[in-house]
Amino acid sequence: MSHHAEVTDPQGPPHVHHMDSTTAYQAAKFGMWLFLATEILLFGGLFCAFALFRWTYLEEFHHASKHLNVWMGGTNTIVLIISSYFAAMAVDAAQHGDNKKVVRNLTVTIICACGFLVIKYFEYSSKYHHGLFPLNPEFNSPEFNKAYQSFFALYYCMTGLHALHVIIGMCLLGWVISLARKNRFSGRYYTPVEVGALYWHLVDLIWIYLFPLLYLVG
Amino acid sequence: MFRYLPEQASTFAPDVDWIHHWITDISVFFTVAIFGAAVLFAIIYRRRDGKDHKTPQILGDHKLEAIWTVVPTIICIFVAVEGLLVYRDIRTPPDKAMELSVTADQFSWSFEYPNGKKTLNEVTVPVGEPVRFTMRSKDVIHSFFVPAMRVKSDVLPSIFTRVWFEPVKTGRYQGYCTEYCGAGHSTMLFSVNVVSGAEYDRWLNDDSQEFMMSRMGAEEKGMALYEQQNCITCHSVDGSRKVGPSFAGLWGKKEKLTDGTEVTVDENYIESSIVNPNLQIVMGYGPLMPSYEGQLPIEDIKALISYIKSLEKTTIAPASADPVAAAPVDRSKLTPPELGKLLVQEKACGACHSVDGNKLIGPTFKGLYGRKGKLADGSSYEADDEYLKHSILEPMAQVVEGFAPSMPSFQGQLSEEEIASIIAYIKTVN
Amino acid sequence: MSTATATGEKKNYLNEHTGIWSWIYTLDHKRIGIMYTVTLFMFFFTAGIFALLMRYELMHAGPSGLMTPDQYNQLFTLHGAIMVFLFIVPGIPATLGNFLIPLMIGAKDVAFPRLNLLSYYIYVAGAIMALVALSSPVDTGWTFYTPYSIQTGQGVVLMTGAAFVLGFSSILTGLNFVVTIHKLRAPGMTWMRLPLFIWAAYATAAIQVLATPVVGINLFLLIIERTMGIGIFDPKLGGDPVLFQHLFWFYSHPVVYIMILPAFGIIAEIIPVFSQKPIFGYKAVAFASLAIALIGFFVWAHHMFLSGISDTSAAFFSIITFAVAIPTAVKVFNWVSTMYRGSIRLDTPMLYAISFIFIFMVAGTTGIYLATLGVDIFYHDTYFVVAHFHYTMQGGAVIGMIAGLHFWFPKMSGKMYSETTAKIAFILIFVGFNMTFVPQFVLGMHGMPRRYFDYPPEFESLHFASTIGAFANGLGYALAILNLAYTALFGKTKAGRNPYNSLSLEWQTDSPPIHDNFEVTPIVTDWTYGYGEPIKGQSHH
Repeated sequence: MSHHAEVTDPQGPPHVHHMDSTTAYQAAKFGMWLFLATEILLFGGLFCAFALFRWTYLEEFHHASKHLNVWMGGTNTIVLIISSYFAAMAVDAAQHGDNKKVVRNLTVTIICACGFLVIKYFEYSSKYHHGLFPLNPEFNSPEFNKAYQSFFALYYCMTGLHALHVIIGMCLLGWVISLARKNRFSGRYYTPVEVGALYWHLVDLIWIYLFPLLYLVG
Repeated sequence: MFRYLPEQASTFAPDVDWIHHWITDISVFFTVAIFGAAVLFAIIYRRRDGKDHKTPQILGDHKLEAIWTVVPTIICIFVAVEGLLVYRDIRTPPDKAMELSVTADQFSWSFEYPNGKKTLNEVTVPVGEPVRFTMRSKDVIHSFFVPAMRVKSDVLPSIFTRVWFEPVKTGRYQGYCTEYCGAGHSTMLFSVNVVSGAEYDRWLNDDSQEFMMSRMGAEEKGMALYEQQNCITCHSVDGSRKVGPSFAGLWGKKEKLTDGTEVTVDENYIESSIVNPNLQIVMGYGPLMPSYEGQLPIEDIKALISYIKSLEKTTIAPASADPVAAAPVDRSKLTPPELGKLLVQEKACGACHSVDGNKLIGPTFKGLYGRKGKLADGSSYEADDEYLKHSILEPMAQVVEGFAPSMPSFQGQLSEEEIASIIAYIKTVN
Repeated sequence: MSTATATGEKKNYLNEHTGIWSWIYTLDHKRIGIMYTVTLFMFFFTAGIFALLMRYELMHAGPSGLMTPDQYNQLFTLHGAIMVFLFIVPGIPATLGNFLIPLMIGAKDVAFPRLNLLSYYIYVAGAIMALVALSSPVDTGWTFYTPYSIQTGQGVVLMTGAAFVLGFSSILTGLNFVVTIHKLRAPGMTWMRLPLFIWAAYATAAIQVLATPVVGINLFLLIIERTMGIGIFDPKLGGDPVLFQHLFWFYSHPVVYIMILPAFGIIAEIIPVFSQKPIFGYKAVAFASLAIALIGFFVWAHHMFLSGISDTSAAFFSIITFAVAIPTAVKVFNWVSTMYRGSIRLDTPMLYAISFIFIFMVAGTTGIYLATLGVDIFYHDTYFVVAHFHYTMQGGAVIGMIAGLHFWFPKMSGKMYSETTAKIAFILIFVGFNMTFVPQFVLGMHGMPRRYFDYPPEFESLHFASTIGAFANGLGYALAILNLAYTALFGKTKAGRNPYNSLSLEWQTDSPPIHDNFEVTPIVTDWTYGYGEPIKGQSHH
């Protein structure tokens, strides 16, 4: 079975037998943009559900939102923006062939992502201790305010799905780092860095919409 | 035309069938014409002796494309519009329709009549009278379908839905549940029994034992709840204005809301006001009603609705008529404090702010102007012009100590001049 | 590098690498297309057998004794879910699309071959989940409406989970095709020279990418609701059951265009070849595909006219639904005009194509009844709807697929099938299909609701006729597919490069094609439909 992609130039684009390297680069970018569109539609459904419930239960959502820690959420927003900045800087470094800088910058991005998840862990566990968690029987009982239930259900779905995408992004960028450590990138080939950074920017963007909607409604 | 459609048992059945026949005629014509052309071409232009004959390289024809785009469009517009008109009739019950209540569950239909009588899986109605069904499900989504009447609607557990029809001949007509609802879906049938007016009256008032028990109509139950659940504290039934709108004449009224939209008071609006009261507030009233979510089962809500419906024609006691609706005033002739007093009445500030020194939900206006004190956050305030204006526009920003942050903002509802006149009025309250 | 295998046969994509692992790890779009075809038809026949079991039950009024009402409900759910998610949605794109798209545009493969193989395995994973779900069969209908789907027994999570996984396969295939068509066209293959199948595949792929995520999140929320008891859709917990319907149909209406657009593309390929004449109105047909895809995103609530939506919403959705009928009608007119003064060759693919015209006229015009609000009140949730969507989905999408499989069979296998057997199968399918569903239109006119285990006795003769038709229909499909499968494995008659004298690129290379599709990358100088004697003053660039 022949190799699908042979690497003849250690810092150049892999040779793919069915298209030239310029087309391959353009195809990869286009493909990632299309994938980002699907992610936006995925979260879009959740945003629609949130909008509907918020319109119906405006005041309860107002109050429920006060249970969320705006400082933690705000810090997470800053953390993600910083992580995106470093991802963008990594693309620039890759274009200039500075693989070591790529590794450094993306490592900062991943550290920020870890920070995000740590803060998220603290948020979730504090909710858990307050009993504001769907598996908690008191939360699920018919006496518990229905609008609160809906708010928190959506809160966990949206932030949970987002956190899953953070983890996926971290894995993706980790793979890019492993390539950079082998000195893979140059001005002739930096597709994985660019495509990985694009994905990371979307993860950031989704949080930038989630944060005001969930935390600042109160 | 083939008569495969059921008999036309309602007033609008012939209209539905009329469009149906039109669509059939158009469809059959085009199908025969187009498929006929294809078959014709396949025959007369077929290859002979296994060899292709010469073909012309015809690429297209703009005129033809235009014709066969425009003509179907016109036909579609015609059909769509006719369909909309019939739909509008089917969805708009006449005002004097008799009201019946329908409850669907897995797997039966129960019907309730205006006098409280209940029947199961069969409904009796008089011929020649429009009847309106208000429907609700106890569990999953069902659908109420009577083919001979040409009506159908899903029956939901979350809101009320409605159908109406006017039967034109007596007889027994089949009804089906037509939204899949589980194992018994295909057994969930019912009958619509259309009888003469006289026979209906006789049947309805049949005082047989088994339904005497359910005779306490929904209205009486609703009235009992009105007192037990303390609706009486804020809502009168004689037209006088209390904290909330009076129930007299409320049913079917078109109310203007605080957000500028309009709503007609129907079952869904009343239910929504009971479980989620601050979503749609009538203009001139404050967001003060507590929610009864989880406290009143749907049967009680239905009973309250019946009670409110029964007050539709109650005349309003003139002495305590809504002052706002009383003789309109020429505002340009009022002094600022007079205008302020009128606005205070219109905007229902009195629901929370007394003028006689009593502590209500908000601070009293008596002696308010110039008062100094502490705010909820510990800082101090002085009730001067700027503070009062700020309280009207951004009430949550500086709340007086000992009071809750529950005043709504009047941003966008009052002009600068009006705010100044209110402040002028408050100055006079001593 | 020799062009012959060890046995002296010319090398092609089938014999170049042998052994099961060469298939399991293949990156060749043609082999992936074949694997999809085999897997998909296994599920087609499974779901088809469920349908025949149902039709047996419905043949006479009263219970047959073969099944309980619960089992009947499970059968119609599984029939629908398997047919939709495991057969028709992957359908033509995964099978013929995978095989043909690179060939038709002059490329060596799709843009992302590894992603393509991944799509296939994600499909297999979803299929396995669905098979496991059969152990605790769902009975909600393939539409999974809440609140019933929240309350009912087990099985819902597994089945909706399977559909969720299958959605990813669809998204990734669509993504792959969009990028391929944009980026990998051979030199000279401009947009206006593309075969109409490619235009259709492109519009389809766009829908796959944009619509599927919404049903993904909808089913995800349903699963969370069932497992964790939160209240998004359940009214007892403050949720809204109609929200489920909105999110569901936002995908499930565009999905029917995913099903039918490629079939339209196939008909647009067959008719010019078997008339040896250019397609009439190329631009109109090409843009009609895009228009249908676009407008199709705005009509979803026509499935919900009676669900409690406002009268204004209903009016809006009714009018837009009429709008989507127009480009469809335009296509049909252009196909028939193509046949005018052609040199018509009545082989099996052309017979299917001509029958498609009849079937789709019925499908489309019966849709008009349902779009018309006053009439939909009567027909919604009756057998009329069941007949309508079987005309579009089976008569349209499936027959389109069978037509395409017959047309391109010589290219895919290098062999010719028996025309006689194929024509007999065609007659069985056409007669059986119409006999199954015409009585169902009549049942709908009588007001018979759908999803009924049993019915009033006066409907029995129509149901009986429908059942007879269904068995004939099933026999026809079995014969058609067996004919092709048998010929592929054991057939002897060689096909040659271009048995039907087509000008399209896939027919200018070997049958079966070599691994890289073309010996030399083609340079395209003319469009795909340059048949016949040119007319002065008219030319297509």
